[in-house]
Amino acid sequence: MSRNMHADMAAVDGRRRINMDKLMTVICFILLFIIVIIPIFMIIYNAFFFEGKFELDMFVTQLTDSKNLAAMWNTLKIALFATVFGTIMGVFYAWLLGRSDIPCKGLMRALFSIPYMFPPFLGAMAWDLLLNGRSGYLNRFLVSTFGLNGMPFNINSIAGIVFVEVSYYFPFVFMQVVSALERMDPTLEECARIAGAKQSTVIWKITLPLVKPAISAGALLILTTSLAHFGVPSILGYAQGIYTLPTRIYAVIYNSGGSFDGIRQGAALSVMLVVVVAIALVLQKKILSTGNYDIIKGKSMRPTLIKLRAAKYPLLLVAVFTLVLIVVVPLVMIVLISFIKAYGLPLKPGNFTTAQYVKVFKASGTMDSIRNSLFVSITAGVVCMFLGTLVAYVVQKIRPKGKEALEVISVLPYSIPGTVLSIGVILAWSGSLGIKLYNTIWIILVAYMARYLSFSMKTSSAALLQVHSSLEEAARVCGASHTESLSDVTLPLIRPAMVSGFFLIFLPAMREVTTSILLYGPYTRTLGVQIYSLRDAGMIPQAAALATVAIGIIMLLNAIVTQITKDKKGV
Amino acid sequence: MANVRFENITIKYGNHCVLKDFSLVVDSGQIMCLVGPSGCGKTTLVRALLGLNKPETGSIYVGDRCLYDAKKRVNVAAEKRNIGIVFQDYAVWPHMTVIENVSYPLKKQRRPKDEIKRRAMHALEQVHMVEYANHLPSQLSGGQQQRVAIARALVTDSDVVVMDEPITNLDAKLREEMLLEIRMIQKRLGATILYITHDQQSALQLCDKMAIMQQDGSLCQYGTDEDIIMRPANRFTFEFIGVSNFIPIVREGKELCLDCGEKIPYTANLPADCEGKEMGVRLNDVVFDRDSVLKAEVTSRIFLGSEYNYFLKLGGREIRVQQSMLDARTFGTVAEGEKVGIRFLNPHFYDRKEAAQ
Repeated sequence: MSRNMHADMAAVDGRRRINMDKLMTVICFILLFIIVIIPIFMIIYNAFFFEGKFELDMFVTQLTDSKNLAAMWNTLKIALFATVFGTIMGVFYAWLLGRSDIPCKGLMRALFSIPYMFPPFLGAMAWDLLLNGRSGYLNRFLVSTFGLNGMPFNINSIAGIVFVEVSYYFPFVFMQVVSALERMDPTLEECARIAGAKQSTVIWKITLPLVKPAISAGALLILTTSLAHFGVPSILGYAQGIYTLPTRIYAVIYNSGGSFDGIRQGAALSVMLVVVVAIALVLQKKILSTGNYDIIKGKSMRPTLIKLRAAKYPLLLVAVFTLVLIVVVPLVMIVLISFIKAYGLPLKPGNFTTAQYVKVFKASGTMDSIRNSLFVSITAGVVCMFLGTLVAYVVQKIRPKGKEALEVISVLPYSIPGTVLSIGVILAWSGSLGIKLYNTIWIILVAYMARYLSFSMKTSSAALLQVHSSLEEAARVCGASHTESLSDVTLPLIRPAMVSGFFLIFLPAMREVTTSILLYGPYTRTLGVQIYSLRDAGMIPQAAALATVAIGIIMLLNAIVTQITKDKKGV
Repeated sequence: MANVRFENITIKYGNHCVLKDFSLVVDSGQIMCLVGPSGCGKTTLVRALLGLNKPETGSIYVGDRCLYDAKKRVNVAAEKRNIGIVFQDYAVWPHMTVIENVSYPLKKQRRPKDEIKRRAMHALEQVHMVEYANHLPSQLSGGQQQRVAIARALVTDSDVVVMDEPITNLDAKLREEMLLEIRMIQKRLGATILYITHDQQSALQLCDKMAIMQQDGSLCQYGTDEDIIMRPANRFTFEFIGVSNFIPIVREGKELCLDCGEKIPYTANLPADCEGKEMGVRLNDVVFDRDSVLKAEVTSRIFLGSEYNYFLKLGGREIRVQQSMLDARTFGTVAEGEKVGIRFLNPHFYDRKEAAQ
């Protein structure tokens, strides 16, 4: 009898749906545990435990080390100044391009978003070429032209680092605020004018407070990115012994030759860095929560533009100058240097050659690095695209117990600095747990997956929210199994979002340097690492040549993405 | 053709019990309207039939086929139940053309290609959508998407078709048309249709049988539409199906009175046992009668095309009246401010609301 009942169960196969849902949930938890939880746990464990025993000495030593304290102080200073100046600049240009009648808006907006996709460490490289305190081209030009005694600028300073970071991070605020300004109801401002307020009063008392949430969100992004940033301070700061926490972590590990002790010290520093970032996040959340307005609507309206009158052309000049300074100058500089015979030679026609490109491409490392970057970026993009969609599906549709935990775990690595994540990955996957991936390309892949998972998770999540559950249920009732309903209905509907999730991962992964600089092995350099180490080895024109190639690849890919996403508006 | 039997169904969401020991039979080859206020568990019941949720107790049969039985541990998967469904939001897949949508159930049955094509086109013919076969749903109006959903539900010749508030999103005229069409399609195919709605008006137009569900998820009346309108089982049904006037009955000395602020004696027209109850009268059961003892004053009159709506004042109480065009012709209309005699036909007596609860 009981056998009969079981046969019945198997025949009608009624509980498979539940089992499949459970299966997906379990897979999610296991994968996230491996990719995210283990590395994070390993950092904390190794910072406080040694050979299985709790040990605070190492942590205290690191915390009180004067070099580390200086690094922490530098990190805070740079992040603070970069945030303040970046925010001011972002808001100013957002207002200028969003709400004033300045000419050539479309073109300028496109140009202003270039720094967004330009790898900052290449910008730092360019500025180092121009304004290096000892040998910068522009510095030498100014000295010889005006007969100065010393170099007028020194980019290898805190101020220099702040300057470069600002020029690459202000778009965070700029883009947030521009879109907020566009969605703001212009009648709010018109009412104030009608009530008798002057134009300047309207800007201060109405417009700015209304876009405050957008400003804070952008500022937060600058703050956390700058705190965790490795590229710019490492390129500009090393020469003068200026360290920030991320570069200090790198230096500690690099100097120890990758020994376990060095990595443990790095782990301790990582805990410090995470604490600093966490404090910044908490502070920001407090500020953010005080100003939340619902007046900004989703539908777009045509705002009234403010006439600049006499200030129009001077302001246009300022905007153009800024663009030239932050976009054109570094780009041109890198391209020029890539054609120079030897670093330091004056920029004269006779000194140009294409030999650097030949050299770069003849070196075996170059093609390897491009191949590695493509492989890691595409693989991470594809894997994250599916894994992120899986997590999103579990969180949005299956809604198991603990879905909040799932959500938090998947976005956690993004708020952790890349350097810290690398250390966690090293600690977890270099044999201590029985799996040794160190010095292979796989360890970079694992780190990228953790770092970028949240990107695809978020886009897929948003898309899944749009897919009403009745669509999938209708398929089930029409005779599709659970798997078939997923592949016939749900997946096709969220495919555009999955594709854009892939590119959101693929593009930044292609220019990544922060994470891979700690993870690369002799044969597993990525494009970013290769440029970085060419420059480090003093082969600056070759580095510039490879950088030019990299920028070309990134721009090409960006153009392709824009084309693809433009067509994908059907569904 | 097959009937549908729900037996002792209990469904809980967390600690909240939506349906408790619920039983219902949908007769074979009929349209049965399940009517109830929003949130009473209609959709939950239908989802149990479709296999989209799992009752704690009870069993569900379509004809002789057991789809679900908690005791025997039978739970046929949703895709194997062969029930047509029209969801409230249509659930037409936006990435498939009309013909792809309609063919999908047949494809899942692995039918030959030419048969799929023939039957899908036939289903589209029935809902007059043939010329839209290659359109995407985003190119269709709400009513057209609705037809696609209906065609998709009918295409496999399922014994049972479920429609969950399928016309609520349509405008009044289209609603009327769709109801007629559903009726005609059902007559042609002879399918059993379980139609879910909170709108008693469309239920009346469509159904052979009606089942009324109460807010707490229990079934309070089951019968033909005439039964339910003429002989409502309880106050809930009476109130839910149509708008009514309610007047409390009180005793004053020997007289039974209508309590309208002032107490109006009305013993002659009231049954003896109605003291302390409330009298419910439908709007169209209030008729003008010059000879009646009840005199009311007209406060407003609204012409609605096929009828007049009056607001009267009887003592201190407002009485609403619906006068058909026929009555308006034979009796004549009454102007605002006039006094008019009224009579209550077909009154129902229920416990007072406070007492009932």
